[in-house]
Formats: sequence, C-alpha cells, structure tokens
Amino acid sequence: MRELRYKNCVFLGLVLMVLMTLSACHDEPQWNNDPYGNFDALWSIMDEHYAFFDYKEVDWNEVRTRYREKLSPNMTSQELFELCGDMLKELRDGHTNLIAAHDVSRYWIWEQFPVNYDERIIDEYYLNFDYRRATGIKYALLDNNIGYMYYASFASNIGEGNLDHVLSYLSTADGLIIDVRSNGGGFLTNVETLVGRFIDGRIHAGSIQHKTGSGHNDMSEPYDYYFEPTKNHIHYQKPVVVIANRGSFSATNNFVSIMKSLPQVTIVGDVTGGGSGLPFTSELPNGWNVRFSSCPIRDAQGQLTEFGVEPDVRVDQTADDTARHHDTLLDTAIGCLVKSR
Amino acid sequence: MNRLIAIVILAVLAISVSAQDESDSTVIARPVASMFMADVGHASVLDSYLTPITYGGIHTALTYAATQATGFSPDRWVRQLEVGVEFAGVNNPVGNNDMQMLMAHAQWGMMHRWRGVFTPSLQLMLGGMTRLHGGVIYNSGNSNNVVSAKAHFSVGAMGMAVYNTHIGRLPLTLAYQASLPVAGVFFSPDYDESFYEMYLGNHHGLAHMGWWGNRFDMTNLVTADLHLGNTIVRVGYRNRIERSWANHLNTHITTHALVLGVGGEFLSISRRGVKPQAKIISSMY
Repeated sequence: MRELRYKNCVFLGLVLMVLMTLSACHDEPQWNNDPYGNFDALWSIMDEHYAFFDYKEVDWNEVRTRYREKLSPNMTSQELFELCGDMLKELRDGHTNLIAAHDVSRYWIWEQFPVNYDERIIDEYYLNFDYRRATGIKYALLDNNIGYMYYASFASNIGEGNLDHVLSYLSTADGLIIDVRSNGGGFLTNVETLVGRFIDGRIHAGSIQHKTGSGHNDMSEPYDYYFEPTKNHIHYQKPVVVIANRGSFSATNNFVSIMKSLPQVTIVGDVTGGGSGLPFTSELPNGWNVRFSSCPIRDAQGQLTEFGVEPDVRVDQTADDTARHHDTLLDTAIGCLVKSR
Repeated sequence: MNRLIAIVILAVLAISVSAQDESDSTVIARPVASMFMADVGHASVLDSYLTPITYGGIHTALTYAATQATGFSPDRWVRQLEVGVEFAGVNNPVGNNDMQMLMAHAQWGMMHRWRGVFTPSLQLMLGGMTRLHGGVIYNSGNSNNVVSAKAHFSVGAMGMAVYNTHIGRLPLTLAYQASLPVAGVFFSPDYDESFYEMYLGNHHGLAHMGWWGNRFDMTNLVTADLHLGNTIVRVGYRNRIERSWANHLNTHITTHALVLGVGGEFLSISRRGVKPQAKIISSMY
C-alpha cells in the first residue's frame, strides 16, 4: 500500500514537471550585439510594432533588403547609426527616432518648412515685454482688446487654477488667440484640460487604435473618445483663433485637430507638423533606443492627421513683415477676430 | 438495511465520543510561527511590453509569514498567511539603461498535514492557496510604454516538507515550501496598447483567465531554522519563477535570493491565559 502511494507521488510529480514545460514560457528572439544583430533587431522591432506601413505605402521588406546589403561586419558604431537612421527616415515620421548616447536620428518635417514664428518679434513689438506667465502659458491683452496666450509645450502641465487666472484675466477681450507655434507636443491629458475650457457640451474628440499583434494590419478597432467641459471652472465662449505652424507636432497636432472641429474656432497659419501616432519605445542589443509610432489617433471625422492638419486660413510669414518686425500669422489672427466682432 | 442503519448509528456515536474526549480532556494551544524574512539576490526581468531585452540586477524583498495549526483538526491542518514586498533594480546587458520593479503580494493557504512520513521527524503538507500579486516595472527610457503594470489573483496548490532534527543540542528545522498558482485572473495590456487609451475608457481585453498555458508562477523556499531559545533564526534560499504570455506580450521574471529571517512561535493569550495542561500543537516545529 505504501509502495503504491509512493508510485502515485512520483507519477504526480512527473505530470507536474511535464505541465510546467508546457507552460506560458515563450521565447523572445535573440539578436547578437554586432552590426547585423542590431540592424535585424531594429528592422524586426519596427516590422512588428510600427503602425503606419500601409498608410504610408512603405514596403518594409524592400527597405530591409536595400539597407542590409550596405552592412559590413567591421563598420563603426557611427556608420551603423547613420545607416539605421537613414532606414528609419524612409518612414517619414517625426515620432520615429533612433536614440544613442551620441546622437538622435530624426525626421523632423518642420526643419524643411518656414519657421513662421519669431518669439522675439512678439515679445518686443506686440507685448512690449509686458506679459504674464502661468503654468507654462505666456499671456497678455493685445491692442484692439484681443487676448493672447502662447503655450510652448504640452509637456508643461496645465493647472486648472492657473488656467482660471489666465482666462479670467483675458475674459474682457473680444476674442482670444491661442498660439501653439513650435509647440512640439507633450501630454495628451493637457490637451483635454485645455480643450475642456472651450466646449459647452460633450464632444467627440476622435478615436484611438493600437497594434494587437506583430502583423502590419493587426490593429484594434478605433475606440471613440470624448471630451467633457471642465466642471466648476471658467470657460471661454467668445471667438478663438489658434495659430499653428509646422512645428506644432504630436499632442499639439491633436489639439489643433480637435479645436478645428469647434464652431467658434479658426485655425490660422501653416499645416501642422502631424505626428498622430502615439509613440512607444523599444531597444536594440547595443542599448540604443528606438521610438516609433504605435497607436494611431484619428480626428473626429475618422481621418489620420499623421501628415498634419490643414489650417482654415493658410498664411506664411512674409519677408516684408519680418523687415517691419511684424508677425504675419499673428496679424492675420488679429484680423480674423476683429472682423468677427 | 438494518445493517446500514447500525453502521450510521455507530459512526455518529464514534464521532460524538471522539469529540467529547477531545473537548473534555484536552485544552489545545496553537502557537503562531511568525517569521520576518529579508531576501537579497539576483533578478532577471524580461517584459516585452517595455523591451525585448532581458535585464538583470539586484533583487530584494521583505516578507512576513505566519503559520498556525487550524482551530479545527489542528493535528491535521495548517494554515499560512504571507505578505511581502519586493524590489529589483535591473540593468540591460550593455549597462546603459535600467528598470525598476516593485511588487507586493498577499497569500493565504491551508494545508493538510501528514506526520511521521517515512521517518518520525518528517512532516508533509499539501493544500490549496490563494494569492494576490501586483506591482509595476518601470523603464524611464521609454515613451508611452514607460511602465508595465502587473496584477493577478490566483488559486493553486502549496506544499511543505518539514524535518525537525538537532545539531548537537540545538534544535534545527529544515523545510522546503512551494506555492504554485494554477488558475486565476490577471491583467495585461494589449500588444501595443497605451495606458492613455485605457485612461480614455477602453478596458477591452485587459483581464485574462490565467492557467499554465498563458501564465506560470512558482515560488520555492528552502530554509534552515535554528532555534536559539525562544528565537528562531532562519537562513534559506528563495526562488521565484513567473512566466506569462498574453496578447503576444512576454514576461519572464526569475529571482534567486538568499533569505535571512528572524521569528518565533507566539501564543495569543486570552484573559484566562494558557492552561498549564494545554496541549501545544505547533504548525511546523
């Protein structure tokens, strides 16, 4: 009887061991820390996680073939970095960077277009260096009784109390200019905070997706998201002009796309810089980080704004205005608000 | 039929006589074996939501375990409560990036005890457990996948082998304990789903039924308890293996740690105190 129990115990133990080997253990691909291993790791990470191959009509296998044949076992780290950086530029994506200790590869579209923004002109000739700052927002009342606020980065958290002070101070103005030129983005939660002051009801802000697997088309169904008016805080319901340029990227691009859907808002300036994919980050065996667009965000009409949001009034800075210390885009925005009185 | 009725009556009588014997003649005291443990060792962490690279580094943990014979059938059943926190600071192989892992758990289990198995000094225990485990792994170098949240609730098996012996006149208890969650529910984001999307309200597909096909988790603990008077000093080794595969996301966490602990057996004293004739039934010792 005791022998039988012993055999049962042994059998049970063997079953347990077999079940353990059938368990959730799933191997990750391993790459060597050499030029080929790092290149293959980069290519595979992008192949499995990047969200816009089809939208941008990029043949990623062809890209691999073209760039991999340029590899050599003895190439320097710098040469490998430049080769990999060039490969990533094929994606035409401002959110896609290879990040090493010595450099960051980039495709920053705003570097190829007019800047359309000179902070010094505004500070000196429009604000007379007389402005207030709160929670990352510079604000003042311009001539013609127009309110002006410049938000340099959505990475600067906006405090609701600070925003109350800003909007209270500007509440007597006939209209408000929100300048988000060269605002390279930041936290999407700040977009919600700011938009919440300019809506009087629940709005459909857009939709978000994410990759569900390694296939190029493994995407989740778009998830619609909505913004509510901020409760118990000051709201601004007069006409608003948002000024944007190509440097208005990522979260700022998202902000502009949502504000554009509001009836009292006019977008003035250049096409925004795009960047509608929420970026994720991964890593190569040599420790370089790679950032890439992973979660597409669409506007309320279901359109991707990866290549930017068209303004309602397209205008570039003119050389004559620059010579006269005028900001063409700001003048146009003021004109829009004066006209709407 | 008459024989069946007779058997039932005899069984009822036997049970009632047995219970009466115990309640009348024996006062039982059940000390709690309490142990505070500190772990120091190595952690290996792979979380493909954060990076496909396996990180390694220092692992530390603080654990409290209380083991006690149950109120019913104290000779045969033992229960154990364990709570703990663990922290690991790990680096990638080339050493230019790091991650931090912070986890906490609470576990409660009950085991049947067999005394004198093979030798009079050996006890074997086997039973069930339930475990709540959660925490975060943080990779500061990442963007919207900066943190991977972990949470699981599971039920499973736990077992213990306890061997009481002596080194000279010093009582020594050698023990091996394993806990093995079998099924449960656990949290996993989708493949490349951001926490911002969850914040916006999309909670679809975040909870998963866990079984050995998608989640495996086992903790092994080998200890030597030295009885120094009323104090028990513990030296041991703990190993934890966690594997999960959900939404094409891979998690491998393995820790090896030296365990140092201190504790003792404590009786909860009622107003009437412990009667001198009380029979003490220890959970382990």
